[in-house]
Amino acid sequence: MSLNLNARSALAAASLLLAPPALAQAPQAEAPPAEAAPPAQAQPVMTKPPELLQQVEAPYPPEALAEGITASVRLIITIAADGSVADVLPTEPAGHGFDEAAIAAVRQFRFSPAEVDGVPAPVQVEYVYHFTLNAPQPEAPGPEQVQAAPKATLTGQLISRGSRSRVAGATVRCGDDPEAPEALSDADGRFTLEVPPGECAVRVVASGFQLYQTKEQLQANETTEVNFFLAPTAGALETVVRSERPKKEVVRRTITRQEAQKTPGTFGDPIRVIQTLPGVARAPFISGQLLVRGSNPGQTATMMDGVSIPLLFHLLGGPSVVNAEFIDQLDFFPGGYGSQYGRAVGGIVEVGTRKGAADTLHGSVKVDLLDAGFFLEAPVTDGISVAAAARRSYVDTLLPLVLPKDEGSTLSVVPRYWDYQVRVDFGRKRDARSEEEAQSQAGGARSTGYIMAFGSDDQLRLVSSGPETERDLSVDTHTNFHRLKGDWTYRKGALTSVFTPYVGYDGTSFKFGAAKQDGSGYTVGAREVLGLELSSALTVRTGLDLVYEHQSFDVEFPAPENFEYVAFPGAESVGELLVEHIGLGSFDGALFVEADLKVGKFTFTPGVRGNFQRAGDARNVALDPRLWVRFEATERTQLKGSLGLYSQPAETFRFITLPYGNPELAYQRAFQSSLGVEHRLTDVFNVDVTGFFNRRFNNIAAPGEIISLPGGGVVQLPYSNQGIGRALGLEVMVKKQRASATDKWSGWVSYTFSQSLDGRTGPAPENSGNDFGGGFGGSGDTTYGLSPFDQTHILTLVSNYVLGGGWELGGRFRYTTGRPTTPLNHTFDLYQVDRNRFNGTYGPYASARTAGFHQLDVRLDKSWQFQSWTLGLYLDVQNLYNAENVEFVFNDYRQRREYEVPGIPILPVVGVKGSF
Amino acid sequence: MKALLQTGGLLLLAMASLACVGPEDKPSNVHDLRVLGVSTEQPELIASTCERTPEALDELAAEVTYRALLVDPAGEGRPIQYTLWACADPDDRTCENEADRALLAEGTTVAGELTLPIRPGAARGAEDRLLLERVLEEDAYQGLGGIRMPLVLRVVAGGEEVYAQKLMVFWCPVVEGMKANEQPVLPGLRVDDVPWPEGEPLELSGPGPFVVTADDVSDREENYVVPGLRLQAVNLKEAWEIAWYSTLGEFSLSETGGADFGGQQGRHRVEWEPAEGATAQDVTFWAVVRDGRGGSSWLVRRARWSP
Repeated sequence: MSLNLNARSALAAASLLLAPPALAQAPQAEAPPAEAAPPAQAQPVMTKPPELLQQVEAPYPPEALAEGITASVRLIITIAADGSVADVLPTEPAGHGFDEAAIAAVRQFRFSPAEVDGVPAPVQVEYVYHFTLNAPQPEAPGPEQVQAAPKATLTGQLISRGSRSRVAGATVRCGDDPEAPEALSDADGRFTLEVPPGECAVRVVASGFQLYQTKEQLQANETTEVNFFLAPTAGALETVVRSERPKKEVVRRTITRQEAQKTPGTFGDPIRVIQTLPGVARAPFISGQLLVRGSNPGQTATMMDGVSIPLLFHLLGGPSVVNAEFIDQLDFFPGGYGSQYGRAVGGIVEVGTRKGAADTLHGSVKVDLLDAGFFLEAPVTDGISVAAAARRSYVDTLLPLVLPKDEGSTLSVVPRYWDYQVRVDFGRKRDARSEEEAQSQAGGARSTGYIMAFGSDDQLRLVSSGPETERDLSVDTHTNFHRLKGDWTYRKGALTSVFTPYVGYDGTSFKFGAAKQDGSGYTVGAREVLGLELSSALTVRTGLDLVYEHQSFDVEFPAPENFEYVAFPGAESVGELLVEHIGLGSFDGALFVEADLKVGKFTFTPGVRGNFQRAGDARNVALDPRLWVRFEATERTQLKGSLGLYSQPAETFRFITLPYGNPELAYQRAFQSSLGVEHRLTDVFNVDVTGFFNRRFNNIAAPGEIISLPGGGVVQLPYSNQGIGRALGLEVMVKKQRASATDKWSGWVSYTFSQSLDGRTGPAPENSGNDFGGGFGGSGDTTYGLSPFDQTHILTLVSNYVLGGGWELGGRFRYTTGRPTTPLNHTFDLYQVDRNRFNGTYGPYASARTAGFHQLDVRLDKSWQFQSWTLGLYLDVQNLYNAENVEFVFNDYRQRREYEVPGIPILPVVGVKGSF
Repeated sequence: MKALLQTGGLLLLAMASLACVGPEDKPSNVHDLRVLGVSTEQPELIASTCERTPEALDELAAEVTYRALLVDPAGEGRPIQYTLWACADPDDRTCENEADRALLAEGTTVAGELTLPIRPGAARGAEDRLLLERVLEEDAYQGLGGIRMPLVLRVVAGGEEVYAQKLMVFWCPVVEGMKANEQPVLPGLRVDDVPWPEGEPLELSGPGPFVVTADDVSDREENYVVPGLRLQAVNLKEAWEIAWYSTLGEFSLSETGGADFGGQQGRHRVEWEPAEGATAQDVTFWAVVRDGRGGSSWLVRRARWSP
């Protein structure tokens, strides 16, 4: 038997490997072009896939030929923006000369340029070059034989093992014969193959999956129906598109769902993962506070698909209300963001949610120490899909088991929380493989959109009573919020419009002894962004961002000191009961416009955002001009810079009437600037170095000054615009991504050098009491100095390694400079008799620091893939080597000695997740 | 509100951690030179009118008795030097500003109760200005909390030095219903529900804890009226606090009573435990009561404790 040589590339398979990422990974959020959409909603979308224009056949390696060896060489091809092949890398060596032959051939390929989000962009694709050997051709049959040849049909569905995802774009054939008929699986993973009857040595080739081989006996004139479960090569799902979205901001750092769920030490909490990025100071303990570039907590806006999340964490500092299963990705802008964003003087976190699966029903169930939750996604009908997630805590049922039980006292603590997210998408045709194709199907104009609801509910009840307790204590709080938003994207030619209306409800209830407060708030808002590509060099975006809130409170409480009367030091008197109903509406609107102007290698993005606020009788206006410049030094290196003004309105409740609010508050403002360089060392290594300088002014400070009232009397403003701050620093981010399914290592190094100052203008007010955590206590009139959260050096190393066999190991190491403290300088006791408290005598303000913080967190994941579902188990250990870090310093009662409050000790957490 | 909640979250975490850290020096354990309490009799002076008349100034210049409870268990009766000033600025904890202070008394004493007759309402600072007027000028609240004059006692014994600041309150009837504060006085104490007489030491033995309670004071806590910041009358009710001290061991709580902002009042119940390994000895106990508006007094009790 003579061997018939045939070396051929798997062209059909390759053309599908080049398909949009949605076909090769978990379903993505509908992503409008970056020109008009809120950037964070958009995962990069390949709007035009590259097409193979010139294929070159590789010579069969003579040695391999002689030995009758076949091989499939899996390659990562980097296609430059002009369609040429920039780089070719084998993902796993096949040996025997196959790699060299395949690489040499592929280097001569020529593609049509790919487009990502409508812009020609370099992309990476996975490509399989098959070297096969064929048996000698049988003698050609006569025409009558051909006509009489019976046929057998093999039909079925290709399913991803462990996730039940449908595998689209795979080739199915019998044997290695290159001339044998083959079938391509459609979007549902379905295929139909007509072949001669008999034994079929089935071979299924699909991107991201191991070669699938089996044997089927096919009967003449019969249809055999099968389901083939294909094993993913590594990790159930892997994108093949490596290109970056064109950045509209100087710094945007993106966290994928995978990173959000698996970063060690974060309990799989997406918001806490943000804390591992440059520009973010470490928050005390395991708090999720975002302290961005010297700004204070509450000055970084967190949004879910463009709608502000009113309360970020369950039970104040517990898990964030953002369910990691529901997110598609997180975008973090530490500063210098475009005019579309406002209402923040710190950074922006944009949570992009997940679009429901288009192929079939998927889901997951997760259980850990605190709560349990599920995620479900499914297509409803063609073009409509739904995704939903919910979570509920059960720590309230476990706490009674560990709380102390004494005869003379009873203690009851009931914390309870739940949250949910639902999203229904419509308008995307599943057979449309690109934006252009979808538009052409829709006659040139196209609408897509989705409706989403999310909400959260927290309750905390604490009752302590009995004759042996210090006092009968009762605290009962209940907070919840619900948001319903729509998103309508319309595209026609160069015009893109994204309209996002939303409504919301917020409820708060608080009871503490005789004090009660019931509050409710209603929100209605809308956002419209219009993008118009006037030419290849000029794109203009403009839009409106409007929100109206009405809040009302029914309050009943004993007359509070310093609001109603001047408290005597140490006074613990019981005030008369006051009953009030307070209601207030506020409107905040912004009009923004910005343009991308390309001049040679420069891109200029000037923009302006005009803000207007009306809250009660207050009328505030702020104009925020911004400029962003990017210079493409080389294909791999970009220089970038930005400067601009930013505004943040005070929350509505702060405008209530005196003495509980200040109706004359103005916008909080900030000037932000940055300058940096970004370089792609290799296709998987990126480095970004950015320097920044920020100044904050007119920020909210509490309390404010004491003022005289026109009709007599005085009042202390609870808030004022006296807050100021300054921060400067340098951020470095080096990130290693996984090159392919077989690349086992990913991670990043994040380093920030910074100095942040914080305080207020003017002298310290009465009752400032700001001596917690390194405030201005003990230094006389000092009201401006190092921020309590200042950390000179912040280093974070995050790494994840795929061990194989379903095992993954991750680690996070952190080092930060200790926070500033003001040292005690005790020479004598200062006793306040009426208060029965001692005052301290201190050294220079913030002239000392706590010891540096260092901690290693480790996470071990193990997954078991079954036919139609995957079981995952993880162990997340915080502070693996039990470092005794200092979180705070407090003084003894006579202010003679300092004592250190340690951070969390070693803390292991175990969780289980099942997905299908 | 959000920032308040967030800060509250951090505080909760910090408080949780405090449970793991314990300073050795406990407030309720008296082992060196301390000022445990100061009272003035009357606790406050109220003029009959808010007009600046000679009669009103005379009423505010009345003599009061200043009492300070000085303890020095390790001093073995050593002399304690004292100086008492009145000054104008409550933030001047040591009456350092000579231009705004007046010397009321000085001398040498020993541990125990220091009693001094003083007339702070008549005190004058530099340029012979009435201190009361200077206090009012310094007051951002324009006297709506009363004129609160700092009385600063400095005591020195050996190498130890303590400044103790008490605010003496001068009122006038700004709103209807105001009347002078009455000194809070504890009716009595109990140990394990047994009355604790003043004169004779109680015999206590064993490791304890011994439950110490104050007799009910609720009928002695006054209802009173103060001017509000918008010149309205604000009705309040005292919620007394008791600070507990002993020369051996420590109390489970160093302070009891008072009310939180929800009006929930504490119980005057503490547990006393002698120090581990201590030998039989006489122990002195003090209970210092404060009414939360400037009034204060104390009880002294003794016990003979044996292991």
